[in-house]
Amino acid sequence: MVDSKNVFSGPAYALRDVTFGYATRAYDQSESVLKDLTCSIDSGKILGILGPNGSGKSTLLKLLARILRPERGTIELFGNPLSLLFQADVARRVALVPQETMQVFPFTIAEMVLMGRFPHHRGWGGWHWEDAEDWRIAHKAMEDLDVTHLGSRLVTDVSGGERQRAVIARALTQEPQVLLLDEPTAFLDLHHQLDIARILRRLNRERSLTVILVSHDLNLASQYCDQLMLLHHGHIVEVGSPQDILRPDLLETVYGCQVLVDRHPQSGLPRVSLPV
Amino acid sequence: MFLESKRGILFVKPMADVPSLTISPSSKESGEWVQPSPPRPLPISSLRTLTIRRWFWWVGVSLVLAVVTLLTCLGFGTESISFSRIWFILVGVMLGTESIHVGTDPTAVILLQVRLPRVLLAFFVGGSLAMVGVALQALLRNPLADPFIIGISSGAALGAAIALLFGVGISVWSVSALPVCAFAGALLALLIMYRISSLGHGFSIYTLLLAGVVLNAIFSAFIMFLTSVADPNRAFGMYAWLMGSLTGPDFFTLGVLALYLGVGLMVLATQAQSLNLLTLGEETARSLGVEVERVKKLVFIAAALLTGAVVSFSGIIGFVGLIVPHAVRLVVSADHRLLLPVAGFVGGMFLMLADTVARTALSPGEFPVGVVTALVGGPVFLYLLTNRSMRVGM
Repeated sequence: MVDSKNVFSGPAYALRDVTFGYATRAYDQSESVLKDLTCSIDSGKILGILGPNGSGKSTLLKLLARILRPERGTIELFGNPLSLLFQADVARRVALVPQETMQVFPFTIAEMVLMGRFPHHRGWGGWHWEDAEDWRIAHKAMEDLDVTHLGSRLVTDVSGGERQRAVIARALTQEPQVLLLDEPTAFLDLHHQLDIARILRRLNRERSLTVILVSHDLNLASQYCDQLMLLHHGHIVEVGSPQDILRPDLLETVYGCQVLVDRHPQSGLPRVSLPV
Repeated sequence: MFLESKRGILFVKPMADVPSLTISPSSKESGEWVQPSPPRPLPISSLRTLTIRRWFWWVGVSLVLAVVTLLTCLGFGTESISFSRIWFILVGVMLGTESIHVGTDPTAVILLQVRLPRVLLAFFVGGSLAMVGVALQALLRNPLADPFIIGISSGAALGAAIALLFGVGISVWSVSALPVCAFAGALLALLIMYRISSLGHGFSIYTLLLAGVVLNAIFSAFIMFLTSVADPNRAFGMYAWLMGSLTGPDFFTLGVLALYLGVGLMVLATQAQSLNLLTLGEETARSLGVEVERVKKLVFIAAALLTGAVVSFSGIIGFVGLIVPHAVRLVVSADHRLLLPVAGFVGGMFLMLADTVARTALSPGEFPVGVVTALVGGPVFLYLLTNRSMRVGM
């Protein structure tokens, strides 16, 4: 496997004519479909994917993490076609933070965070013992996300927000170059929302980590994303800076409701609010 | 839940090194509320995860306990044998002064030809059922999955019943057709259950159990039909076998069983870490680098092989795969690298003890060991079903 970790200078992702549809079943209501998506995603940036419910945001994220395979079209990760990579090869470069984590078994937070080291070890089914290096990386990630003190608690016992932070710590433990997040702040209170957003930006600046996040929180996306991508019915409506995307006319056509856009008093970036 | 909280308390070390929170003088003066500083990080070594030392400690402890249980169970029976006598005879066998096959000493004959094979069979069967339970629970992400409850055992029993009644060769080149047919039946049942469990996201823990009950009923109907058309002598033997019995194995049978179990357990053991990740859900496991489809196939085949072999040798014994993994998870670890072997030893111990009860409680008569496991496991199952903490993920 060609390791392009340090030599590749192109975009993180290049998508060409990517089409995806879920098999339609009577009980499956989610029919979000992506149609002929072509775009490239710059490395070292924070990209926010926006769009109404069912516009294909989460599906796109799953395609990028190679959880789903496109029906047609190709996805390249740092110049390598995703379809030719092993799952572990992808997992060493790309980490995904899912929208919610369900766990019915009593793993501890530290055990769950350490699972992020799985793709870095080869062997029968990944059978290995975590060494000091694994520990160091996991510990650093837990420090960053402020979950070290929860290390011995059970995943089933902590609050939703604490679990979400632990899951992000697990993703960082994968030492990815690309971090995908599906609604990372949905279950968090204001304090931890801000924390997560700041951590993501810091990681992005310090380690030039590429961050791709799906969010319904337009204001958070506006403040922290370098670029925004607006999806609607499985098509890309527009890609651009927050100022380009968060325009009242564009949002009204996509979301189907009236919005007010003014400027954030501190940053001057667009701020979206709903009319009374 | 009591045991869960017990585990939490048991393993959390006292945080003696956390500094007490103090408010700095400046903030007192200005009257401002200062965000309390987060507690100093605990040293890494205090976090509860699996280390090699812990692994060897728990596996060693359970191994020793299993051997002690085995020796204890050997002593009980219609003829009680003292511990020193057991020790003397077993050491004699190992040194070659005593033979397994010819014995003049009646105690040695009872011990070596009747009791030892039976207790060993109980150990193998119990251990395998517990490990299959662990694997199925991880794969289906359902702590109530058990080869008996979700119908895998009855699938294997149907396969075995067909082989018995139609006498499918009985053996081909001295390989009995029985375990092979049981394996096929178990695999069929597993695939049906898996299809059901992977239908959409809206399906709960209970749907799977309900499906298992129905699958059980269907397979049982087939088995009842087969026994009713079979000739009475054979039918009676089948009833006795279906109820779960560990009577009358010889060392050759044990060897064959050990071979089947060895293969199945090896496959499961190699997938331990992948099973850990699969408990997070298939999509998350995939995003962490698990080749989910391959792991699933391997675990399915291994689970069907183990269940098929166990059922064809000892009939249907329920609940071992449910209560043992649950208990071990709470007390030891949820990590499958440790959970699988320890659950294996504990499952073996549990069934050896249950079988000892079954053959001594009404001495000189005995009743099926399945009665004992159901009487212990049934109430535990009901408790788990009604317990609050099980309602996660529904």
